[in-house]
Amino acid sequence: MTESPKLKRAPSIRGRLFGYLLLPLAALMSLAFWADHRTFVTPMYDTFDRALSRAAIAIAAQVHQGNDGTLYVEGPDPGTLHMHPPSGAHLGPPPPPDGDITDRHDSSLRFEPDNRPLAWMRLYPGARETLLYRVSLPDGHTIAGDDGLPIADGHESDNVGYENATYKDVYLRVATYHTSVGDTPVLVTVGENVHHRDIVVRRLDSIIGVSDGIQLLLVLVLTLFGITVALRPINKLREQIAKQEPQSLQPLMLEPVPGEVRPLVESLNTMLMTVRDATLAQQHFLTNAAHQLRTPLTGLKAQLEVLADETQDTAQQERITRLQGSVDRLAHTANQLLALARAEPSSHGPSDFVSIQIDALVGAVIGSMLDRALARGIDLGAECEPLQVHGVYWLLHELLINLLDNAIRHTPDGGNITIRCGRQNGMPYLEVEDSGPGIAHAERERVRERFYRAAGSDGQSSGLGLAIVEEIARSHRAHFKILDALEGTGARMRIEFPSHG
Amino acid sequence: MRILLVEDDPLVSDAIVRGLATAGYVVDAVGDAESVQGRLDTTHYDLAIVDLGLPGEDGFTLVRRLRRDGSSLPLLIVTARDGLDDRVNALDLGADDYLVKPFALPELAARCRALIRRATAATANEMVVGRLRIDLAGRRAIDDTGRVLELTRREWSILECLAHHSGRVVSKERLIQAIVSWDEEISGNAIEVHVSRLRAKLGDAATVRGIRGLGYRLDDA
Repeated sequence: MTESPKLKRAPSIRGRLFGYLLLPLAALMSLAFWADHRTFVTPMYDTFDRALSRAAIAIAAQVHQGNDGTLYVEGPDPGTLHMHPPSGAHLGPPPPPDGDITDRHDSSLRFEPDNRPLAWMRLYPGARETLLYRVSLPDGHTIAGDDGLPIADGHESDNVGYENATYKDVYLRVATYHTSVGDTPVLVTVGENVHHRDIVVRRLDSIIGVSDGIQLLLVLVLTLFGITVALRPINKLREQIAKQEPQSLQPLMLEPVPGEVRPLVESLNTMLMTVRDATLAQQHFLTNAAHQLRTPLTGLKAQLEVLADETQDTAQQERITRLQGSVDRLAHTANQLLALARAEPSSHGPSDFVSIQIDALVGAVIGSMLDRALARGIDLGAECEPLQVHGVYWLLHELLINLLDNAIRHTPDGGNITIRCGRQNGMPYLEVEDSGPGIAHAERERVRERFYRAAGSDGQSSGLGLAIVEEIARSHRAHFKILDALEGTGARMRIEFPSHG
Repeated sequence: MRILLVEDDPLVSDAIVRGLATAGYVVDAVGDAESVQGRLDTTHYDLAIVDLGLPGEDGFTLVRRLRRDGSSLPLLIVTARDGLDDRVNALDLGADDYLVKPFALPELAARCRALIRRATAATANEMVVGRLRIDLAGRRAIDDTGRVLELTRREWSILECLAHHSGRVVSKERLIQAIVSWDEEISGNAIEVHVSRLRAKLGDAATVRGIRGLGYRLDDA
């Protein structure tokens, strides 16, 4: 059988299902991730903002109006404040301030860890950041704190406005508390490095990301498992097809097939039935053709023989002999054509394949050809080991007849022909070696072609013998090789069967 | 010797009748299976040649019917079909030999001769191969001059076995089985020695031909 050309990798159902599910699933997961992110970020930012506003309010509480009407911020002495955190210890010592800000020289404008008012440590528990602050008048005059700190303009119902700002290359979130001390309106602005809340958001994002990723992975594993289970009937169908003999045209069972695949199997079965009908028709045709061709040929041949016996006239006898030669050749060609048609795979079914004792077959074929060989003084013999091969008996019979017929044609009178069979390196083989002129390397492919007749072949050859051998070898998945004789000039026709059969 | 031919094709039928007549047989031809029984009831035949592809009742059915009725008439099938099934079928049903069309008349005559020889051997205990008369009951071979060949027990067994399958190749293994009893052992070389002695004694009355790698065949001359 010829190997089918390599197909482009076909998309598998499993791959398609997986692909079609993977993309939307991934998109869905991204959407879920974004939604989760939005869900937690807004309230979290609000919480941060509220904490910031509390810090501003706490600072505002320390802004007093002196007797002269000027405003001042009460010294940041922790000792004077009585608002101790109830359990300050668990808050731990405040961490060292953020590097960017520590580097700044103007340290007096900042709440350092040691001068941070405990009051807003309590208001803003767990604060790990240093804050910038500014107490200013509406006209922009700064009373205390960092006089460059941007002020958030807008303010809502609770008198606190929020804004994102950049100050001295630091991204800040500022909260401005609009209040009044005495009758003087005062703006207390607190700025916080956004770095802190970014870290928190990033940490939460990564937790959500990992969790969503694990979910996606689990869904994919489950999907893959589901697909595999769902495709199991298709795999069973494939196994059922694979188990069938190549020539078997048995319809496939509909039993384990899911509804979606059933029409496919049904059309496959219809096709198999059509092929089987065609095969039966072909076999029927061959039987009829054989009968219709051979019977009149037999009559013609036999009549000529009788005629030759009855005729005394030598001139007429010579004519009859020539007629007989033609009839013989016609009979031979008819036989060869029938053999060729029968060697086609559609002409035999799997039930025709049986275990065949090749050495016995060799004996039978030699027996039927012996008289022809002996008439030419050819020493026809065998060197056979017991050998069994899986095949169609009459096809292998036909194959050997043709090899032997070919050998006898090409062996000179008094030559040698040897048929061998056995195993070489475990591989079953059958070969016919003759002491004829052999076949040139250039001719070895062409002689297998139908109706090809090598230069110098006699007029009796139909040019079909080796084509039949080739066809039969192929239908047995065997290789037909034309080699040099082991001794002398002749040809060695070798059939190598597959080792498992 | 009388042969019944069942063949529907007149050209073939006529040629076989004439061809076998030259070989010394009387042949009665019928064109269908239905006429066979009437012929058999009135005439004794030594052999029937049956074409498988007959109109009406086919050759298979005829062979099956004849054997079922207990006929021991030797049957030679001729047919245009050469499939294995047909061959096995015909032989399983009780046909004695099988010849595929188109055949040569001398081949048909040889097959007829062999079948008749075998059938006669079973009843008359005598076979004729070439110019040799083989007396199976008396276990002796007589050539055409009336001389009784002096054969050893083993040479006789070999000749007997070859004669039963004359015209066909008999393997060495089969010959060994034919000449040795259970407690004896004999090599292929010993067979060759016996055969060469047998050849010398047969002279030109019949030929024992050696086939390389296969065995021996007894030919008429």
